[in-house]
Amino acid sequence: MTLLGPSGCGKSTTLRCLAGFLEPDGGEIEVDGQSILATPSNRRGFGIVFQNYALFPHMTVAENIGYGLRLRKCSGSEIGTRVRDVMSLVKLTGLEHRMPREISGGQQQRVALARALVLKPKLLLLDEPLANLDARLRDEVRWLIRDLQQQSGITAFYVTHDQSEAMAISDMVAVMKKGRVAQFASPREIYQKPVERYVADFTGEANFLSCRSLEACGEGRMRISVGGAELDVDCVASLEPGEAAELLLRPESLQLATLGEDVTFRGRIVKSAFLGASQHCEIALADGGVLKLTTPPNDPVRIGDEVGIVVDRSHAWLMPEGTE
Amino acid sequence: MIKAKHLRLLLGAPAIVLIFVFMILPITNMVEMSFRVPGAVDPFGDDYTLMHYTRVFGDSFYWGVLARSLLTAGGVALLCLIVSFPIAWHLSKASGLKAALLYALIASPLMTGVLVRNFGWMIVTALNGPLNETLIALGIISQPFRLLFTQGLVILALVHVFVPFMVLPINNALRNIPDNLVEASVSMGASRYRVFRDIILPLSFPGIQPGVILVYVLAVAAYVTPALLGGQMVTYMPTMIIAELTGTFRWPLGSALAIMLSLSTILVVGVFTTLTWRLMERVRA
Repeated sequence: MTLLGPSGCGKSTTLRCLAGFLEPDGGEIEVDGQSILATPSNRRGFGIVFQNYALFPHMTVAENIGYGLRLRKCSGSEIGTRVRDVMSLVKLTGLEHRMPREISGGQQQRVALARALVLKPKLLLLDEPLANLDARLRDEVRWLIRDLQQQSGITAFYVTHDQSEAMAISDMVAVMKKGRVAQFASPREIYQKPVERYVADFTGEANFLSCRSLEACGEGRMRISVGGAELDVDCVASLEPGEAAELLLRPESLQLATLGEDVTFRGRIVKSAFLGASQHCEIALADGGVLKLTTPPNDPVRIGDEVGIVVDRSHAWLMPEGTE
Repeated sequence: MIKAKHLRLLLGAPAIVLIFVFMILPITNMVEMSFRVPGAVDPFGDDYTLMHYTRVFGDSFYWGVLARSLLTAGGVALLCLIVSFPIAWHLSKASGLKAALLYALIASPLMTGVLVRNFGWMIVTALNGPLNETLIALGIISQPFRLLFTQGLVILALVHVFVPFMVLPINNALRNIPDNLVEASVSMGASRYRVFRDIILPLSFPGIQPGVILVYVLAVAAYVTPALLGGQMVTYMPTMIIAELTGTFRWPLGSALAIMLSLSTILVVGVFTTLTWRLMERVRA
């Protein structure tokens, strides 16, 4: 699972509490139903991977990985075998006798991973492990972490501020806001059915339209009035009819259409950018709102054109009005 | 370009002149002096001889004094290290006002002149001085014990004044150890002792090595403290050399002794550096 949130939201603090480096002011931390608050860090049996790798600079790669085994008084031959095995798992074979400063950042992070995994931890804590890597390496190491986690079956607790990283790597995501969990759900649910604007905003590009909810029309569905149109959309379960609400429209759930078709909104193109695989444009609506949307790269888009917008209703989502 | 290069040389000139005038020249002069024959009336004669070296290196008395000097300095360096490490640790964890205060306290032995400091030691440790009086008043001892004019006091006083030279480099090295390393090793199951032995100690070595060398060299060459607190019973190389130079006016012999001391100090430091070379190579940042 992943803790996702902006810097300062308390995600690293949470991880440090788990690791035992900080004592929580209150509350309880349980593993398999047992409180671990009284267990010191060095007996919790968790593996930790840090953003800055935290490799021991005076030990070789193999010594770094084998350090925890040496602490456990494993025999020399066992350490040798287990270090060799985990090194081939993270594709570091051949670098045994290098010093950490002699290998690349991606390799260093793989050493850090191997060092944690070789101890078969009950829980693997990863604190922004990709933040110091460049984009290409980040992808590579991200897949590696995911593969290793799946292979080993070790529960991993991942902290990041990067939403795409969080979605790609985790089964469950907790979005944090000012020290509290705003939503805890699968990546798909977090993205498509956020409970509040904060979550929607943080997990990707989003359009928000203020609207009025008219009446419930089935379980978790609501008829709304927005920008002169009436729509039936899925909504947050707790939402009451008549409440002020916001409609979330992800840019990819909007389509440009020529006027006259059965369009939901009308507006004028005010900005456009060609991004290669797609185009990004902003449409000013008649009532003053602006919608961002993504269109296929070869759609004709000219600034100033009057256009219609079709909403993919299955991807529209209604939330209570944001408090921010 | 040429101008800039000349300017740079000019910047280095004062240092070069200083080293030449106050180091190269005197040492050359001293080496030459050590080969001079003793003079009848003057401190030295016109001819050259090896007699001082054969005498110095052939006499177990001189070897004994040399050994005492080197061993004492070694003891001072070791004790200094033991005393300084915890201080350096606290200093490395402190910040702001607390750090400033600690720095001032640590540097305090250096803020008193060497004579004043040593007279202070003499007054405090005298047979009827405040230390003995307090201990007797507290009932810890019944007879005043002799600390003044002993080798122990010399070592104590030298450790006291050299602590800053050990604390500061170790503090620097400790500050360079990221907290993450400690956390990483703890998460792998390391006890406090293992964290210290496996992580903190080796990684602070870039501070320990210069600290030990600095204190050792200073302790070997210390003159005033051994002269004042060691009394007449304990002879060290520096006090003996000064006695030859200013007491008996046997300048060539004094020079030979000084060179014996310098060479052996260089040798000791060289051996220490060689022995710790591999460790330093590993922890070099």
